[in-house]
Amino acid sequence: MPRVLRTLAALAAALAVARAALAQTAPGAPQTEPTDGGPQEERAPSDEGAPRAEEPIESDAEAPRRERVIEAVLERDVEAERAQLEALRGGCGGPERAINVRAGLEVGAYHDDVGVGVLTPSVTGHVDNPLSGWALDARYLVDVVSAASPDIVSTASRRWSETRHAGNVGGRYQPGNVGVALNATTSYTPDYLALGASAQVNEDLLAKTLTLVQGYGFGHDVIGRAGTSFSAFSRELDYHTVTLGASRVVNPSLVVGVFGDLVVERGDQSKPYRYVPIFSAANAERIGRGEAAETVARLRSQPRPLEQLPLGRERGALTARLALRLPIAASLRLEERLYLDSWGLEASTTDARVIFDVGSRVMLWPHVRFHVQGGVDFWQRAYVGSAGDLPAWRTGDRELGPLASTAVGGGVRLALGSEGRRDDWLLTVTVDGTNTQFFDAVYVSSRLAGLAVTRLEVAF
Amino acid sequence: MRRVRLCLVAIAALLLAACRHVAPYERGILAHPSMTTVGTPGPAEAHVYSVHEGAVGGGGAAESGCGCN
Repeated sequence: MPRVLRTLAALAAALAVARAALAQTAPGAPQTEPTDGGPQEERAPSDEGAPRAEEPIESDAEAPRRERVIEAVLERDVEAERAQLEALRGGCGGPERAINVRAGLEVGAYHDDVGVGVLTPSVTGHVDNPLSGWALDARYLVDVVSAASPDIVSTASRRWSETRHAGNVGGRYQPGNVGVALNATTSYTPDYLALGASAQVNEDLLAKTLTLVQGYGFGHDVIGRAGTSFSAFSRELDYHTVTLGASRVVNPSLVVGVFGDLVVERGDQSKPYRYVPIFSAANAERIGRGEAAETVARLRSQPRPLEQLPLGRERGALTARLALRLPIAASLRLEERLYLDSWGLEASTTDARVIFDVGSRVMLWPHVRFHVQGGVDFWQRAYVGSAGDLPAWRTGDRELGPLASTAVGGGVRLALGSEGRRDDWLLTVTVDGTNTQFFDAVYVSSRLAGLAVTRLEVAF
Repeated sequence: MRRVRLCLVAIAALLLAACRHVAPYERGILAHPSMTTVGTPGPAEAHVYSVHEGAVGGGGAAESGCGCN
C-alpha cells in the first residue's frame, strides 16, 4: 500500500504540474522556452494568441483528451501496483481463509562425543481464526535417548536407552487489544513424570506498537528411580514461574523486547543415579580437570554418596531481543540473556542470526550462540570428605559447574507451495554444532555436539 | 548486581528512546516472518540448550522438566 500511495502522490503532483504548464500556455500568458544552446527567446506580448510554428496547437477541445491520457497512465500504474501486491499477498497465503489449519512433522537428531545420542520425532497441529482471534496448538514428541557417558561408565554401568514421551496443548484468544494464552505440558519416562500449566496475558497498547506480557506457570515433577514404582520411591519438585515483558515497535524496521523470568523451585531435585566421588584432602589435589574415570576410581575414598542438592532454588533471567530489518533483504535477530540464581550460578547467553531472503521462497540464516557461566557456590571438582563428614551439598552435574559453550550453525527455510500459496508447504532444516568447555569437571573437559532438525509444515 | 542494573537501564533507554509513532501503513516490513521478538529456537533446539546450559528463561511458555541431565 505505501508504494501505491507514493506512486499516486507522485503522479498527482505530475498532473498538477502538467495542468499548471497548460495554464501557462493559455493565451495572454508570457512564456520562455530554451532553444538549442542559444539565448532564450521570449515571446512578445504582441504575439499573444499567435501559434508558434514548432508547437502543436492546443485548444480547449484538446484539454479533456489530455486529461483522459493522463488518467489512463495513472490507471495503468495503479493496476501494475495492484498486480504486484497480489503477487506478494499470494506468497503470504492467498485469499484470506476463515480458519487456518497447519500440521507439522519434525525430526531432530543429536549426537555428542561423550556417548549420548538422541532422536526426537514430533508432530504438531495448529488451528486459528485470525478474524476471531483464537488459536489452538498441540504437540507430541518422543525422545529416544541412548547414553554411555563417562558418568555412567564411571559407575561400571552399561549403555542405557530410554524413551521419553512429552506433549503440550495450548490455546489463545485475543479478539482485541487484550489476549489470554493457556498452555499445559507433560513429560513421562519410567522414572520421571512432569506436569505443567501456564497462563499468559498479552495487552497491546499505543496503537499496537507496545505489547505487555504477563504470565504465570506452575510445574509439578515426580522424580523416581528406574525399576522402582513411584509409590515405592519418589521425590517431588514444584516450581513457579512468573514472566513479565514488553515488546516495542521502535520504528518501521525495528522491534525490541525485554522479558524477565522468575522461577522458584521447591523440592529435592538431586539425581538418584548420580554418585559423587569423595576424596581425602591430599588426593583431591591430584584430581585435575577432565581426570579419567580410572584415576578417579583409584584415588577416591570409600564413601560413594549420592548427589545432594539444596531443597530450594530461586532463579532469575532478563532477556532482551531485537529484530531489525536491514536494507539488504535480511533481518538481524539478536538475543541477550542475563541469569543468576540463589545457588550462586551466574550466566550470560548471546544468540545472533541474520535471516536472508533469497528470492521469494527461500530464507537462509547463519547462527551463532555463546554461553558462559560460573559454577554454583558449592561446586567442587573433587569434594573433600570422609565417611562421617560428607559435604552437605555435592553434585557431579557438569552443567552446574563453570563452562563456556559456542554454537555455530545455520538454517534454511523453503516455501514449496504453489504460486499464490507458497507458505502452504514449508520445509525448514537447521544444523548446529556446539563446543563446550568444562573448566572444572572430572571425566570430561570438553564436549563436541551436533544437532540437526528437519521440519515440514503443511497448511490445509 | 550493579552490572545487571546498568544493563536494565541501557535496555530501557534503547526501548524508550528514539521511538516514534509507526502508522499502520508503515508496518509492512514488520509483517515479515523474521520480525518478531518471540524466541527463535525450535522445540528440539530449545530443549538441547536447556540441558546444556545451566540457565533458564527467555523461552516464553513454561516448559515441563525432564531430568535429562
